[in-house]
Amino acid sequence: MEKQTVNTEEKPSHRRKKVFVEGPISPAFVGDSIAKHSTMMNIGAHSIFLGQVRKDVIEGQEVVAIEYSAYTEMAEEKFHEIREDTFAKYPLTCMHIYHSLGKVDAGEICLFVFTSAIHRREAIDACNEVVERIKQEVPVWGKEIFDNDQYVWKENK
Amino acid sequence: MKIKVLAFGKIADILPQQEWEMDGVVTTGMLRGQLEAKYPDLKGLRYLIAVDKKIANDDSPLEDRSEVALLPPFSGG
Repeated sequence: MEKQTVNTEEKPSHRRKKVFVEGPISPAFVGDSIAKHSTMMNIGAHSIFLGQVRKDVIEGQEVVAIEYSAYTEMAEEKFHEIREDTFAKYPLTCMHIYHSLGKVDAGEICLFVFTSAIHRREAIDACNEVVERIKQEVPVWGKEIFDNDQYVWKENK
Repeated sequence: MKIKVLAFGKIADILPQQEWEMDGVVTTGMLRGQLEAKYPDLKGLRYLIAVDKKIANDDSPLEDRSEVALLPPFSGG
């Protein structure tokens, strides 16, 4: 779980931040991330999006997990671009994005987007925009795995 | 002139390998044509092509050592 440590040095910076984590994102990690912002007195609003793996039923078969893979280098460039664009567009105090790779069971968290700002509107709008752009633009693929080990490739709507 | 080709997601399932080199392919359109002729299952699929990690249009020129990736519809998040 060491990959899930939060970088506490928060600046709307041009540094590349690590987005991918192996396996699910734990609720405790999300809680810790929130707690780490308690020293930042100019924040008045956080907006958080958590994507959870759904136990969809596809042609009578239940999805038990999604296995994520990525074109990692391009995905990291895209995450960085989305991050920079969003900081340029909204007055945010900080932003974190974490996305799972590998297997995430139904009911577990696979995406964590966390934006903070002085006021709620920009935090909420920025969070929504980041989530939508991730779904559309980042080369990540999810294999929906059934309990008999067969699978189908998911497609974002 | 050599390019490196990478396949992901559903496309990696169809092709015999996920990463290989090709010779003498000068545009993305030519790559698409050659692959679809050899692997007809690709024809029915929607996919984008990225050249050196940027989405390319259908007749983008390729250069020696270009990294060309075949990207089926994304499903992250």
